[in-house]
Parts: sequence; structure tokens; C-alpha cells
Amino acid sequence: MSSRNKRLLLLVGLALVALVVVGFVEGAIFKGPEDAFLSEPHVALPAEQIASLGAFRVTNTLLSSWITTVLLIVLFFLATRRMSPVPRGLQNVVELAVEALYNFVISVAGEHYARRFFPLIATLFFFVMVNAWLGLLPIYQSLAIFENGHVKAHLLRPAGTDINMTFALALISFVFIEAWGFRAHGFAFLGEFIRVKVLFRDFPRNLFMGLIDVFVGILELLSHFVRIISFGFRLFGNMTAGEILLLVSAFLVAFVATLPFYGLELLVGFVQALIFAGLTLVFATVAVAGTESEEHH
Amino acid sequence: MPEEGLGFHLPSLIAYGINFLLLVGILYVVGYKRILKMLDERQSRIRESLETADRVRQEAAQQQQELQRQLEAARQEGQQMMAQARESADRFRQEEQERAGEAVAQMLTRARAEIQQERDAAVEEVRRHFADLAIRAAERVVERSIDRDAHRQVIERVLEESGDLKR
Repeated sequence: MSSRNKRLLLLVGLALVALVVVGFVEGAIFKGPEDAFLSEPHVALPAEQIASLGAFRVTNTLLSSWITTVLLIVLFFLATRRMSPVPRGLQNVVELAVEALYNFVISVAGEHYARRFFPLIATLFFFVMVNAWLGLLPIYQSLAIFENGHVKAHLLRPAGTDINMTFALALISFVFIEAWGFRAHGFAFLGEFIRVKVLFRDFPRNLFMGLIDVFVGILELLSHFVRIISFGFRLFGNMTAGEILLLVSAFLVAFVATLPFYGLELLVGFVQALIFAGLTLVFATVAVAGTESEEHH
Repeated sequence: MPEEGLGFHLPSLIAYGINFLLLVGILYVVGYKRILKMLDERQSRIRESLETADRVRQEAAQQQQELQRQLEAARQEGQQMMAQARESADRFRQEEQERAGEAVAQMLTRARAEIQQERDAAVEEVRRHFADLAIRAAERVVERSIDRDAHRQVIERVLEESGDLKR
């Protein structure tokens, strides 16, 4: 490294240290919550309304999800507009992501079901991840609608922090899983939940085992519905906690001290997307399990 | 707008759901379908080109083998032809030699016969001269003419008895 670069690095390092010190001095830890550089974070779980279409209220999280949607569509459109066998630029990036994800789907669900599952799984992954990452853009959550000099509502907020969005995805995931299971097994799929076969096979003798089997069926049914709740709250909780973590860390120590948490949130966004898509994929694979060999011939 | 609670709101939930399903559909048409098709195409193209390479390699090996075989055959043919040529040359030479030998022998025989003939003729001539000479000498001696023919017979008989000059 040349001495000039060394000097530059030293300068940047000093500036960072100075920013940390100033941030610490300006932060809530040093000055107390009243005089801190940033005002005390106010956690509001419901999304804020920013506009209304007739009776329908448009929230900042919904707008955010639209932006994510449009961004994804534009990205894929640009990437696949002029496809060439030798991928270049954007096509290469998107293709890489799609191929990696597709191989992941194949590794879990097998070649046969991969094509059927892939669109939902991939969209879940891309949507959740891009949504989370967009929220980390510096200006993203600073945009606001002002009224009389006060913040009336923030314009954008990552859609993952809106419980309606996470539950919408959870419900869609649930419906698709059950539909695929039903399509693969037919009415036999319901036999997973209504387990009366043992109970009625020479009736009074198997009473105990039969009742246990019925109970197992009910548990199975319950577990499928519990997935909606776990899906919905997992994503919501992670995204919301991440936002709060960033806010609070910035409140406690202003400026650069938040950076590590930004890095962490990048990872969380990726991991949560992978978990949501991966679990959906696994549940779907389980739902159609045992049918591949019959459908192949 | 509710500030408390989690903020469940059914119309929003439905809106998110519709939004997401639309996104799935559009991304499928715009993105996944094309990309997966491209991946398939690339895969098949790679497989094809690998197969083609294999086939070409095999063909090349086959061709080389064929070439080798042809070369071998040509060499064998050449050797055969050479052997044939040598054989026919040998045979020709032998025939020529035989023919030449025969001609020489013939010529020799003819020459010998001619020589014999000449010699016979010469001997005959000498004998005739000698007989004439002997008769003339005898005529001189007896001073009278004798029966030439009878005399000649006598001489002939003498000559025949001596036999040396004839052969």
C-alpha cells in the first residue's frame, strides 16, 4: 500500500472514530433521552395510512410492497428482455439467483415437483428479501407526509413490518401447500386429518388405539393451521424487531454505531426470506410426498 | 386509524394477497418461464455439444483407424506387387536365359554341322585331288593310260581301308 493510501485510510479511520465519539456524545446514553440528537423512538405496530382509494386505505407498508413489486417486475423484465445463451450483466445476476434457487427447490422437492413449486417459492423469497432490503436504504424511511410542520405519516415502511402482509403471505403459502397436497393425493389427503380407519376396524377392540389415531389426526390438522400463525408472526416479528433495533441503536448512539446493525439486518432479510420460502417448500414437499413415483408412469 | 394492537385489517390483508399473487403471475411470465427455458436450452445445448464432441472424437478415431487400415492395405498391396514384379522379372530372365541358351546351342550345333560339312567337303576334295594325283603319278610311272575308273576304285578301296582321312 502506498503512503498516500495509508494516509487516506488513517484519515477515514479518524473520521469514523470522531463520528462514533460525537454520536456517543449526542446519543441518548450520554445526554439522556430528552436531549438526544434523535427523538425518542415511538413504536407503532399498525401501519400508517397515507392515502385512501375510496373506502380502501392505502398504508405506507402497502405502498412499500407496491414499490417492491414494481422493482422486481422491472428487474426481471430488464434481465430477460434480451436473453442470450451466454448471459451478461443483469441477465447474469438474475439468472444466477434464479438458478441457485431452482437448484435449491430441486434438491428439496425433486425434479418432478420443482417446476410446479418454483414460481411461488422464488417469488416468496425475492419479495420478502427485496422488501426487507429496500427498508435499509438510507432515505427510505425518512420520507414523510407533513401537515402543519409535523410528521403526519411516514411515506414508506418495509411491508414486512405490517402484520397484514406477513399473514397474507402465510395464508397464500398455506393454501398452496394444501392445494398441492390435495392435487397429489386426492381425497386420500384428507385421510391425514380424519384418522378413523383404526377406530372402525373391528370396532370395540381397537378403541384405545383408534382414539389415539383420531387425536393424532386432529393434531395434524391443527399443525397445518398453526403454520399460518408461525409463518405470519415469524416474519413480522423479525422485520419489526430489526426496524426497532436500528431505531433504538441510532437513538442510543447516533451516526455510525448503527452500521453493524445494518449489516445484521441485511443478513436477517436474506435469512428470513430463505426461511419463509424454504419452509413453504418443505411443507409442500411433505404434502405431496409419496406420489412422485405414481405420477411418473 | 388504530394505534394500539397489531393492526390487523382484512382489506389490507386481501390487498397484499392479491398484490403478491399478481407478482407471482407476472414474475412467472416475465422472469421464471424465460429463465428456466433458457437454463433448459443451455443445458441441452451443453449436452448436445458434449455429445457432438464425443461423436466427432469417435469419428476421428474411426477415420484414423480406417486410414491406418487403408495404409496397411496399400503397403501390403505394394509389397505384393513388388514381389510379383520381382517374380515375373525372375521368370522373364530365366526364360530369356533359357532361350538364349537354346539359341546358342542351336547356333553351336549348326556351326558344328557346317564345320563338319566343310571338313567333309575338304576331305572329299583332298581325296579326289589325291586320287587324281595318284593316278597321274601312276600313269607317269607305267607310261600308259590305265583304266581310270578301275584305278580309282582301287585307290578308293585303299583310302577306305586306311580310313584316317575320312573322319
